[in-house]
Amino acid sequence: MTSRNSFWARSVENHKRRIWVWIVAFLIQLVAYVGLVTIYISRIRYYEAEGVYRTAQAYAEALAQAVQDALGFSPKLFLAVGLLAAVIGKQGFSYLNDRRKVDMYHSVPVSKKRRFLVIYTNGVVIYLTSTLVSLIIGILVAAAQGVVTGQVIAVVGIAFLWNLLFFMVVYHMMILAEMLTGNSFVCLCVFALLAFYEQVLYSCLRSFRYSFFTRASNNYVLFVPKLSVTSDYYDHVDIIKYMDTPQEMARTVFPYLGKWFLIALVLFVCAYVCYNKRMSEAAGKAIAFSGIKPVLKVLVVVLAAMIVGGIVRDSTYENDMLMLAAMLACAFIVSAVMEIVYEFDLRCMLRHWGSSIIAVACTALVFCVFKFDLAGYDSYIPEADEVESVLFQPNTDYENYWDENFDYISNEDHLMENMHITAIEEVIALADKDQKEDYETMIDPRWVQVVYHLKSGRDVERAFYVDFENPGNEELLNRIVGSDEYKNSMYQITWDEASYDSVQSVTYTNGCVTSTLPLEDAQELREAYLKDLEQMDFSLVHNKLACGQLQFGFSNYKGASYPVYDSYTNVLAYLKEQGAYYPVTLEAEDIAAVTVTNYHNELLYEEEDSEGAYDYYREAVATQDAYYEDYYEDVTVQESFEDKEDIARIVEHIYPVTLPTDWNRRETFDSNYFVAVELEKDSDYPYDRTEYYFNYNMIAGEVPAFVAEATALK
Amino acid sequence: MIEIHNLTKSFDQKIKAVDEVSVAIKENTVFGLIGTNGAGKSTVLRMVAGVLKPDAGIVAVDNMPVYDNVEAKKRLFFIADEPYFFANANARAMERYYSGVYEQFDQAEFYRYLENFNLDRNRKISTFSKGMKKQLALLLGICAHTKYILCDETFDGLDPVMRQGIKSIFAKEMEERGLTPVIASHNLRELEDICDHVGLLHKGGVLLSKDLEDMKCNIQKIQCVFSTVEDELKALNGMEVLKKEQRGSLRTITVRSTREEATARFAAVNTVFYEVLPLSLEEIFISETEVVGYDIKKLILG
Repeated sequence: MTSRNSFWARSVENHKRRIWVWIVAFLIQLVAYVGLVTIYISRIRYYEAEGVYRTAQAYAEALAQAVQDALGFSPKLFLAVGLLAAVIGKQGFSYLNDRRKVDMYHSVPVSKKRRFLVIYTNGVVIYLTSTLVSLIIGILVAAAQGVVTGQVIAVVGIAFLWNLLFFMVVYHMMILAEMLTGNSFVCLCVFALLAFYEQVLYSCLRSFRYSFFTRASNNYVLFVPKLSVTSDYYDHVDIIKYMDTPQEMARTVFPYLGKWFLIALVLFVCAYVCYNKRMSEAAGKAIAFSGIKPVLKVLVVVLAAMIVGGIVRDSTYENDMLMLAAMLACAFIVSAVMEIVYEFDLRCMLRHWGSSIIAVACTALVFCVFKFDLAGYDSYIPEADEVESVLFQPNTDYENYWDENFDYISNEDHLMENMHITAIEEVIALADKDQKEDYETMIDPRWVQVVYHLKSGRDVERAFYVDFENPGNEELLNRIVGSDEYKNSMYQITWDEASYDSVQSVTYTNGCVTSTLPLEDAQELREAYLKDLEQMDFSLVHNKLACGQLQFGFSNYKGASYPVYDSYTNVLAYLKEQGAYYPVTLEAEDIAAVTVTNYHNELLYEEEDSEGAYDYYREAVATQDAYYEDYYEDVTVQESFEDKEDIARIVEHIYPVTLPTDWNRRETFDSNYFVAVELEKDSDYPYDRTEYYFNYNMIAGEVPAFVAEATALK
Repeated sequence: MIEIHNLTKSFDQKIKAVDEVSVAIKENTVFGLIGTNGAGKSTVLRMVAGVLKPDAGIVAVDNMPVYDNVEAKKRLFFIADEPYFFANANARAMERYYSGVYEQFDQAEFYRYLENFNLDRNRKISTFSKGMKKQLALLLGICAHTKYILCDETFDGLDPVMRQGIKSIFAKEMEERGLTPVIASHNLRELEDICDHVGLLHKGGVLLSKDLEDMKCNIQKIQCVFSTVEDELKALNGMEVLKKEQRGSLRTITVRSTREEATARFAAVNTVFYEVLPLSLEEIFISETEVVGYDIKKLILG
């Protein structure tokens, strides 16, 4: 016979006190699952009626996707599950905040352990029952449409586990918050701290890093919360949702489930210990354990001061003194507010000034750590023997990567996994030069992101400037960029042989003519390019202009283009053999006209304190009653040249805008000039007849005198 | 027996609510715990009920520590000064809860008492008056059939008829099954006709704890008119006089003595008239506490 005071009997009795929670749980879950699946299916059926889907299979796939979206991974469930977990956790243990309830519950012959487990288990039962019932109804609704497939069930199953673990973490957080506090308002505040503190802290730290440190970079080594489950959920649910297979979802989800399980377990143990240690007289107080008050105060004060400091710095053009003043003022105010909240008494604002001083001191310390780089973040350069390999990514080089299914792979993930350059001393030497040289004195500073893969297993990311025009850097860059490790990880053409078997287009362009090459030659061309790529180094790509560019098109709109230099003999031999090679320099007889535009940027780019330029500008504005745009238009001079001799003298000094020049020196082209080339309509030159003009840049220092004269200010 | 030994409890590490209280509550007696507001009565009762954990000292119910001890708590029913009832609950719902928690709960008796006290079992408790709520709490406590029932200010607010009714039930339960009520109150007069033993708390400590009968037997109030001053001196010689009042030649003297000794003393001297009068609880307390330097009128009687 079941005892009247058995676990089961207590459990049933507890459920009677939680009927409204049952109702709320069912309402939320029915709306979240059944409501959404009904809406989503109706929407697809409407689209079908409108003739959106051309085949029955497309319609079936859309329906299946709709069911997966409603019953599987959805950002909407973040709110539903999170809210439900918080409500169930709060309601279950809220009796602890009420002395009258505590007197009753704690005086009856029920052990603390049993009471905790009954309330705790009932909370889980409420969630599981409402969720499973709603899911089953949702699946039945979907099944009635004939949508339920094995894949749908698998996705729903994985999502159920994902949401269950999320529920457990949030539920345990709320229970812990309840244990730590004796008042509902303060409980919700502590819950918010547990749920979002790390997220907000990381956000502040990231913002401070970028504000104070010139070498801050977090593209490869992500600076994200380590324990924040809310952040994990919200940042990843959309990514998981669009994964193709349940297997792929499972591979992504299960590591998070493991982590969440451990977090949930730790929170549960903390909550249980606190429940046992918590005194009944804590009911009605702000904080149940006075020992955590100063800790909580310091944590809240520092975070609040960082938020305020960040806002003030952003809105005062990086005025550090104002920022510090705002942070300290905020620290004082929040300390006082915390004391008021602790005692629910305005008169207590100046109590416990010791912890207030510590909180303010911590705030000042945080400011100093960033302002004076006390942690050595900005000056960090590892010792060469600490480093296993290096990731080196100049902003001059960027590729999109894809996998065997022609789905994009993140650039950062790919390079983190594959780029392991061993020219460590060269990278460190460049980093060291950046520390010692003044940015202002650099001729051609380029932004480089570096990840040091340390032997300890840690990855440290920094970014710094490398002066491409500093002769001392050329050899260092040659050894880095010219290394096989760089090329074989940076350029997909080096490893992705498979994609070239199913290439969909192969072309070569000199910026004016685009030649189509046979698809079956793609592998041959690839191999020729790989042979030529061996000679590629910084000196080549920086000092030489490409004579053309190879372009490959693949499935799923993927594409890659690679520059070809005059020294790439293997590629050029193939192109010439195919009759696809056209020099980058055009022949005058193929050209009908060349129009040169001189923007006269020298007037705009003159230093502000250049009196002449300023006066000229002021005069132009005053006399023409014009705004900047009018002035800008006014100083632009355009001239067309149709004489073949003039054209021949011009085309030797122009370069197509469509060819890659990122690696080349900044001053390669004269930014004042822009050249539009109009080709002869009856010429044999096989340019694209749909284009009227081809755009070119004028090579710096090579502007023919007659062009400069013709386009001078009148 | 409930044994309280050197019980101490502080709140917020500053306010000492109970300071080394030691009291023994014998079975089958009505124990009154008296004290002003803030004297520590509720704190003592909440510790006895196992709600609060003492900072120091021991509370043992039938030799069992009470805090988080289910077996000890099975013998106790605690009625707080503001008893809690579930939201929207009626008497039936509360009975169902308590009969689940206390296995000896007598449902038939509970409903019988409800009828006797004219409490509607189906009416929402939130619509009850304060006195009705206290009656209900007492009935739930009585019907839980625990050995001890702890009542914190429970009799305050009950009308005399109801108080008498509850007292009758207490008397019956004490006789039938040895119930031991422990009643805390700030009002001495509330307890006068019900308590067998009284503990007086003041500022967290026990001023005195004695059987009422013992107190009554050892303190006598005599009204008399002596023939001569010598007779008065002779009668009172060697007796502990707690209080002496004089109105004309009429003396009212409170002495610590047995009734027999006092009668013998006064019979042996020439008196115009003497009579041993009954003492009220209030008078006994006044006499006892004045001896230890407290003005009980200020403490209890306001």
